Amino acid sequence: MAKRETAQAPLTPAVLHILLALSTGERHGYGIMKQVDADSQGKVKMGPGTLYGSMKRMMDAGLIRESDKRVDPEMDDERRIYYGLTGAGRVALQAELKRYRGVVAVAEGRLAYGL
Amino acid sequence: MLLRLYPRPFREQFGEGMAQTFCDLCRARADDRRGLLGFALRIFCETLVGIAKENVMGMNQLGKTTLRVALVALGLLMVPLVASQFVKDWNWSVGAFVRVYILFFGTGMSFALVARRMGAWSYKAGVGVALVAGFALGWSNMVQVADSGNPANLVYYSVLGVGAVGACLARLKARGLALTLFAMAATLAVIALMLPSGAPPYLARNMAIGHGVYAALFTASGLLFRRASLSV
Repeated sequence: MAKRETAQAPLTPAVLHILLALSTGERHGYGIMKQVDADSQGKVKMGPGTLYGSMKRMMDAGLIRESDKRVDPEMDDERRIYYGLTGAGRVALQAELKRYRGVVAVAEGRLAYGL
Repeated sequence: MLLRLYPRPFREQFGEGMAQTFCDLCRARADDRRGLLGFALRIFCETLVGIAKENVMGMNQLGKTTLRVALVALGLLMVPLVASQFVKDWNWSVGAFVRVYILFFGTGMSFALVARRMGAWSYKAGVGVALVAGFALGWSNMVQVADSGNPANLVYYSVLGVGAVGACLARLKARGLALTLFAMAATLAVIALMLPSGAPPYLARNMAIGHGVYAALFTASGLLFRRASLSV
């Protein structure tokens, strides 16, 4: 297990935020962008080019999957393609958040010593 | 319209979603009474970057090599392009720049494709020396023909012709290429001896030195290929 965890390279900010956005449920492209904007408090900006380019690579890596096509009740009647996390995507997100917690723990420890 | 520039598989998978997302973003900005021009420009530039990235990723290794060589050749072309703006009487036509670019690109692609055929450093070095010498000979001859208008100078292209034919016959194998490069050096020596030169002594001396340098480079390349053939 430890070998598999250390073998995963850090996720790019775009991939991390897309995984976070999908962690609470399936979303369509615009929904993912709105959630990323909310999660990052406006600090992470991605356009459709970055979003779908990242999503293609995530689908190739098996982190997300295309779901069905349905209407968003909060928007108009147009049917939109939804995307969701796969099991591997959930594992990758958990591993990345664990890595972040490790880094934060080291940083907080050093700050406590006034470094 | 920009979506058409994406590779077909990407466009088929994500085109509809991208178009919908873009419309949703525009609608949201319009509802908030925010400007669309700056937003559209930002999305345009960001999409162009995405298009370039997806097209490059979709290329095979040869495509990526070709793109890399084409960009390096373009960078090298900037040198004479910029220099011609400052050097007096440097008036190249558009056709001349195109020919020079083809020379840069052809040399680069030749190195990229030929050097990978063998792992030995002597083979790669032999390819490099041969191409540099061939490029310099071709370039200087092009300039000479353009300046002097003397058709006799075209005979130097036969040296490059010997190289091209020899490389094909040798099928780029080290031993055959060694013989080819020695043949190129010999051809150059014959031309130097047989070509009558009505030039003044100082110019004839410079020409002899030039012939000697090119012959030495071709011979050195041949020796490198010979070393590579012995290491197999």
